[in-house]
Amino acid sequence: MSLKTHSRSKAIHVMLVYTGGCNGCDIEIVNSILSPKFDAEQYSVFLTWNPREADVLVVTGPVTNQNRQPLEDIYNAIPNPKLVVAAGACACMGGVYKNCYGDIQSEEIEGPVENIIPVDAKVPGCAVRPQDVLSGVVASLPKLLGAD
Amino acid sequence: MEEKKAKTQEIIETEIQMGTVHPAALEPYRVRFFVEDEIVKDAEVTIGVNHRGIERIMEGLPVEKANMLTEKICGICSNIHVWNSVRVAEIGLGVEIPDRALYLRIIVAELERLHSHFLFLAHGCEVLGHETFSMRVFYMRETIMELLHMIGGNRVQYGCSIIGGVRPRCDLDESKLIKITEGLDTTEKNLKEFADRFTRDTMLLSRVTGVGSIPQEQAIKLAVTGPSLRATGVKKDLRTEMFEYENFDFDIITQPDGDVKSNLLMRVLESFESIKILRQAIKNIPEGKVVDRSWEMVDTDIIKSYIEAPRGTLYHSYAIEDGRVRGSIVRTPSMANIGAMQYASIGSHITDAQLCIVQCDPCFTCSDRAVEVYDFDSHEKLDKSILQSNIL
Repeated sequence: MSLKTHSRSKAIHVMLVYTGGCNGCDIEIVNSILSPKFDAEQYSVFLTWNPREADVLVVTGPVTNQNRQPLEDIYNAIPNPKLVVAAGACACMGGVYKNCYGDIQSEEIEGPVENIIPVDAKVPGCAVRPQDVLSGVVASLPKLLGAD
Repeated sequence: MEEKKAKTQEIIETEIQMGTVHPAALEPYRVRFFVEDEIVKDAEVTIGVNHRGIERIMEGLPVEKANMLTEKICGICSNIHVWNSVRVAEIGLGVEIPDRALYLRIIVAELERLHSHFLFLAHGCEVLGHETFSMRVFYMRETIMELLHMIGGNRVQYGCSIIGGVRPRCDLDESKLIKITEGLDTTEKNLKEFADRFTRDTMLLSRVTGVGSIPQEQAIKLAVTGPSLRATGVKKDLRTEMFEYENFDFDIITQPDGDVKSNLLMRVLESFESIKILRQAIKNIPEGKVVDRSWEMVDTDIIKSYIEAPRGTLYHSYAIEDGRVRGSIVRTPSMANIGAMQYASIGSHITDAQLCIVQCDPCFTCSDRAVEVYDFDSHEKLDKSILQSNIL
């Protein structure tokens, strides 16, 4: 194990971005990392709000028009190597908002997140369960730890 | 020779802006603080980044589908949106709801109020900088979330109400009622200990007392709703006017000052009232069927329904035409409280400004749904009911 991998595995910082979801997934994710019940910190996964400190970007919501630019900026501000986890039905495929008119897609929604930034892991669910978020982050970690 | 004078330093008014994505503000919204000497002179909260056009999506959908869609308006108070949307249809169609269904709805709604208030307490304590209290409240909240998971099968969006009653899967048998009672006992005990610890912490109280206070007249003028209004001493709760709550005995909690301390204590005390209502509901829950499907779909005029959501008065209205929704309007309580957030931060220190916004329990993701109709040529604002004739 290289030194970089070793040090990265000791502290994985997760950043959360809301892009216009309904608040359900967001609270479940904050809950999973912060709250004493699920407590991701025992697996040395920490929540941060600073993109320059983050390793994993968790995106929720269907990415509305207005939120596209901030999301791109935040993604670019995160140093390499980085992971993106799309959490929730909205982030994975646009949810109820994107495909609401059948073939005609909603103009308000730019998502799903894949359209804007590359996604490494998708966590389904409306709203996501805290356990699923943890397993999603953990499943994508080899990519992060295997990088130079 | 000119006399030497020290130049007086000019105080420059600074603008501090946050958002739309900012660490301190969990949800995306934009706020501008106009600061002079570290004191906030004016504040401006702008929303609109979350607009997904849910009222437009509801337009023309079958009523049952539209009801399910209203759940996606808010991830915190999802059940109350479904309830109110269903209530609109029930008022319009004249559907009689079985008594057992009413009680089940109240049980879910009050559990939701509990978890919403706990979320406010946890978030408030986190913004205060008191992580320990925040963790403690999150831990208490988990008990309630598990109960909701047990009733509805999902932790956040449980889709309980349908036209004519509640979904049969949300029916509660004896063992589930016992589980809820046990959960309530633990929660009440934990909450009492928390409240006791909270009110005896002098350091914490010095941090929250008198911060971001809103006078009563101002709160009424700004049309503040819900617990934020009650925290300024106004005794107004829509639950007293709803026929669903007729058989229940509970008090309306008020607090005197309208500052952060009043708001935090308000939620704690109101949680005890919710537990009281839940105990009564579990004790008196009648037997019988949970859903009455013998209603018929007819066309109706615009129907309005007001309901007491955890954050205040929630308003839904739509008309039904051929079993489809026309001209839906949703007005969430946070929309009304934005004025209070701006007002509360004026005069406070810049470090307390975020706290002043949080004290009104904002939920901006559910507020972004206003639709305005303008005439294309004259740019005059038109009545929204024009949507009913033009589209589809």
